[in-house]
Amino acid sequence: MITLVKQETYKLLHKKSTPAVSIALLIIMTAFGVLSKLYPKYWSAKNMFTTMYTGGSWVVLFLIAACSSIIAMEFQYGTIKELLYRKYYRGEILVSKWITMLIYSIYFYALVFVYSLILKVVLYNGNFKLTDTYANNQSIIETQLMNLIGQFLSVWLVLSLVLLLANIFKSTAAAISIGIIGYFALSVVSGLMFVLMQKWDWLKWNPLNMMNLPAQLTSDTYHKMTLLSTPEMICGSLAYTAIFMAISYVVFKRRSV
Amino acid sequence: MSDIILNVQHLNKSFGSKHVLKDVSFSVERGHIVGLVGPNGAGKSTIMKAVLGLFNYASGQITIDGDAVSPISHQAMDKVGALIEYPGIYPFLTGMQHLKLFSKETTGQDQIDEIVDRMKMTTYIDRKAKTYSLGMKQKLGIALALVNQPKFVILDEPMNGLDPQANKDLRTIILDLAKQGTTFLISSHILSELEKLIDDLVVIDKGQIVYKESMATLESGGKRLLVVKTSDDDKATIILTQNGYQLDQTAGVSIIETDDTKMADVIKLLSDNGIDIEDVQHVHSDLETSLLELLKNDKVKES
Ligand SMILES: Nc1ncnc2c1ncn2[C@@H]1O[C@H](COP(=O)(O)OP(=O)(O)OP(=O)(O)O)[C@@H](O)[C@H]1O
Ligand SMILES: [Mg+2]
Repeated sequence: MITLVKQETYKLLHKKSTPAVSIALLIIMTAFGVLSKLYPKYWSAKNMFTTMYTGGSWVVLFLIAACSSIIAMEFQYGTIKELLYRKYYRGEILVSKWITMLIYSIYFYALVFVYSLILKVVLYNGNFKLTDTYANNQSIIETQLMNLIGQFLSVWLVLSLVLLLANIFKSTAAAISIGIIGYFALSVVSGLMFVLMQKWDWLKWNPLNMMNLPAQLTSDTYHKMTLLSTPEMICGSLAYTAIFMAISYVVFKRRSV
Repeated sequence: MSDIILNVQHLNKSFGSKHVLKDVSFSVERGHIVGLVGPNGAGKSTIMKAVLGLFNYASGQITIDGDAVSPISHQAMDKVGALIEYPGIYPFLTGMQHLKLFSKETTGQDQIDEIVDRMKMTTYIDRKAKTYSLGMKQKLGIALALVNQPKFVILDEPMNGLDPQANKDLRTIILDLAKQGTTFLISSHILSELEKLIDDLVVIDKGQIVYKESMATLESGGKRLLVVKTSDDDKATIILTQNGYQLDQTAGVSIIETDDTKMADVIKLLSDNGIDIEDVQHVHSDLETSLLELLKNDKVKES
């Protein structure tokens, strides 16, 4: 299994887009840091920091693209046969891809977290302290960490769906578009969703509602809208992720190549 | 150790309602080069994929070196190298990176360099694969199948896109490896090439095995002809027929050779009758002729 993860990592690292994406991420975060410094009217410095200088949103995009391509490229390039005819079990091949993506996502969030600290120190050293209270009786750094954890869990809910779709459609396009729409649809439909949930209580268990986790973790009133406690939401997110992964596993194992 | 490395028994496979492999049974002897031939869509690639454990089959057994092979039993694949249909290649990696990626821990750099050298890929092996031509990709695919020095190699149409020199190189490599004990299962439509390689032949048509024999048997079973070119072909035909020779209707004056056909007798007979002989040739029916004959006569019905 370690060999397989190494092989996946090798492929990932040798793609031109991999370093390019990391560099782009740092450039974008720097740009937003500088902009918020220059125009404090439009962007609050603390708010910028807790949302990691928009880094979190970009990471979602990059991870969706990476997850769909790590599966779909094997079908696209016809390398799936070479991967599968070896002594390894099919399940191992798929799991090695998941582990690689898990490592990649941890890398991204660590990068975003560390770089936002650096930006804070460089740009706003005197402005605020990390231990200042932000909202909800949480300090700034706590808010940021909660944001990070919440995003990580809800991103993996989307990524598990993207991995499944890439597996079913064998193409990146479908998986990427549905993943992106899924993740960003939340802000569009959440208003309507909350209304419907008031009417039909069981709707609160729908996967889109689980994606409100980052908001709920950083607010003490949000649970009135999501109708779920934070532990319920965490379990819900993990359960959906597990279900999508399980379907992926079954689809991949039964596929004829 | 048995002498059979691959054993396929009563293999059945359907895609939806289409019955693609029908009770396929054959075996491959260790160290032999076996040709798998048949028309387009006969099921050659399908057999190979099943042997590689790439998909489930309805019924039957496949064993490699005694170990069962199926999508959930892959242990035997450690001894196998393969190129199926077309080489799978990552455009963003170089040829060398491919070979490193797919080589086992036990495969050293010297082994990689050796296969690159033998396949004559040194000039472009460090270029990204997206810049490769069709034949370059094909060579890389073959190198990937051979790099781990597997005991059993499956090649699906390996001569695809190769130039005459590369074809010859490949033939030399295959024959060398076979001499050292590597077993090959090769499918190809280029019968004239295949003929120079294989020890045994398996012919499949519409999902059924219609013929499996050694090449020696096939060759001895084929018609041998003595083709003569004369100053007067019509007269020669009449004289030869009168003297009890069997003639083949194809072209010119072709005498079907039997064990007691003597060229000297034929020449004497014709010259005694005042016919000049311009040319005499022995013609063995080649693999192509035998195969076309076989497929024409075979009684497999489309289901
Ligand atoms: N994934 C698939 N789904 C449905 N039918 C398939 C699939 N793969 C192959 N077939 C069918 O199985 C039959 C055998 O195909 P196969 O690829 O084994 O032929 P082949 O002997 O390799 O032909 P060729 O000489 O053209 O390579 C064909 O009729 C083909 O239509
Ligand atoms: Mg084929």
